[in-house]
Amino acid sequence: MAKIIRTAHTEPFVEKPDDDMIICRCEEITKGEIRRAVYDGMSTMNEVKRYLRSGMGLCQGQTCQRLVQNIIAAEMKMKPTEVGMIQGRSPVRPVEIGIFSNNKTDVKEE
Amino acid sequence: MKRHELIVIGAGPAGLSAAIEAKKSGMDVIVFDENSRPGGQLFKQIHKFFGSKEHHAKERGFKIGESLLAEAEELGVKVELNATVMGIYENKEVTVKMNGEVDHFKADKIIIATGAAENMIPFKGWNIPGVIGAGAAQAMMNLQGVKPGSKILMVGSGNVGLVVSFQLLQAGCEVAAVIDAAPRVGGYGVHAAKVARTGVPFYLSHTVIEAKGTDHVSGAVIAEVDSHFQPIPGTEKELDVDTICIAVGLSPMSQLASNAKCDMALIPQKGGNVALLSEYGETNIKGIYCAGDVAGIEEASSAMIQGRSVASHVCYSLGYITEEEFNTKYDSYQEALGKLRMGMFAPANKGRNDFTVTDEGYPISKNLLAKGYMTEEELENFPAYNYKKAGVHPIIECTQNIPCNPCQDACPKKCIKVGENITMLPQIDEEQGCIGCGLCVASCSGQAIFLMDETSDPDGVLISFPYEFLPLPEVGDKGTALSRSGAPVCEAVITDVKKTKVMDKTAVVTMRVPHEFKNSARFYKPV
Repeated sequence: MAKIIRTAHTEPFVEKPDDDMIICRCEEITKGEIRRAVYDGMSTMNEVKRYLRSGMGLCQGQTCQRLVQNIIAAEMKMKPTEVGMIQGRSPVRPVEIGIFSNNKTDVKEE
Repeated sequence: MKRHELIVIGAGPAGLSAAIEAKKSGMDVIVFDENSRPGGQLFKQIHKFFGSKEHHAKERGFKIGESLLAEAEELGVKVELNATVMGIYENKEVTVKMNGEVDHFKADKIIIATGAAENMIPFKGWNIPGVIGAGAAQAMMNLQGVKPGSKILMVGSGNVGLVVSFQLLQAGCEVAAVIDAAPRVGGYGVHAAKVARTGVPFYLSHTVIEAKGTDHVSGAVIAEVDSHFQPIPGTEKELDVDTICIAVGLSPMSQLASNAKCDMALIPQKGGNVALLSEYGETNIKGIYCAGDVAGIEEASSAMIQGRSVASHVCYSLGYITEEEFNTKYDSYQEALGKLRMGMFAPANKGRNDFTVTDEGYPISKNLLAKGYMTEEELENFPAYNYKKAGVHPIIECTQNIPCNPCQDACPKKCIKVGENITMLPQIDEEQGCIGCGLCVASCSGQAIFLMDETSDPDGVLISFPYEFLPLPEVGDKGTALSRSGAPVCEAVITDVKKTKVMDKTAVVTMRVPHEFKNSARFYKPV
């Protein structure tokens, strides 16, 4: 994936002691990975989600969304309310792929 | 594609109430819920609810769920269970996963009532088994009959943390501590007090920094935090626990509203990301509404009224009720909501911590906010505590303006007055004579009413208190009287155990203690 560079880095990425802490449990994404994603230029929830898959697992960001948001806010020196949220997308719940093959769109309107 | 006039997403208190209201007007309504049973979180709630008598106060949550379901069933509201709404598309097309297929529905109106999900906080080891949400603990205990653990650390002193702590104690768990990063207890003082008097310590301005263990929790490290919520080195304390319950708030599950392209905003007072709503609960997309926790975190009692209020607008806009009928309904629902939204814990006051006196002007207990229980000196400021009369009389330790009034109707002698404004503190009417029936004690959802009788027994003072633990003590039992902080005070002898149907499983137990302990003994521990 091509990196989107927000600004040219003048400082090297600084590791933190709790960087190995898992934030997105479903996809096993760590705090360090999210911090590095912001360092790499991702600045919104949707960007980080697409870049790392955080919030794309079984719980669909139910657990980690607010945590990721706080990390982005801290890195960007913004308020969490300014970071925005993940755009809700269908299916909003994980659905087995087999079920999609049983789509009933063809059924004539009743 | 199947068509319905109204699709309600979620069969919790808000969704079911909305569907009932719509169905009553004759509308064609269908409810989808992804769970295998309806009722949302109501069936996990085994405690008595606050609020006004007209709106289910002093009823236990699951009972409210049962009556809501019965009402829906009687009206013939169609509830599809195990039916997961996957998305909302243009022109109100809804895709639903049910019976192993993706089914398509179309509606004139949609009410999103998907509720909320628990927040988590990350700390070292937070993802090892044994760190669970408080709501999950509640589901294990109250729905599945499984003890979540033996020794619990509760993180969060909001109402969820306090209520679940009490239920864990009822289930036979030991609650090692209730902690909160904030400097004051977040939930109702009465909920904190009933946990504190069993001996559970409260650590405010504390956070959990580590869950010990490899494949399961074998301990927790907590530490004091500074004013920026950063742990203060050197204040770490290790607690011997096997379960860490997280109760740090809820976030609205608003993905469907976002998916439908409703205008959204992160509003901290509403608990998270919510759709922007009109006064009638409609989003910027005409015909899509939100009701209940998904519109902003509140209590189940307000969710039920909100559901009905939103549905009444749907009925009106589809022509099922007249404008006049709508205005009458809407006003009465808003009035009821307004009553529930008053007091120091009202949604509008969320995050406020500058209350120093009650609406009556009595100084608010600082100890209650810092340690979960009140001191005798602080209680002296409250007339309903101080009330002194020969013979049996109530002692009311209700000291915060919360919306609740069952005590007023419980007393057959009308000794207790709350008045029209249900957030006012109960007052004792001296003209009326207490007969010591204990109905007020059992009716108080906050378990904050006691009876005291200094004169009837020559061997001591009789103190009656609410008791919701099994086994119940028996007359003649000897045990230890505990103080408001749960510290042993003196020996106590059980002289009476009242347990009637109207008390709804809250036993009123009377113990005899020596005169000098009449103001400190408030709970009982069997030997």
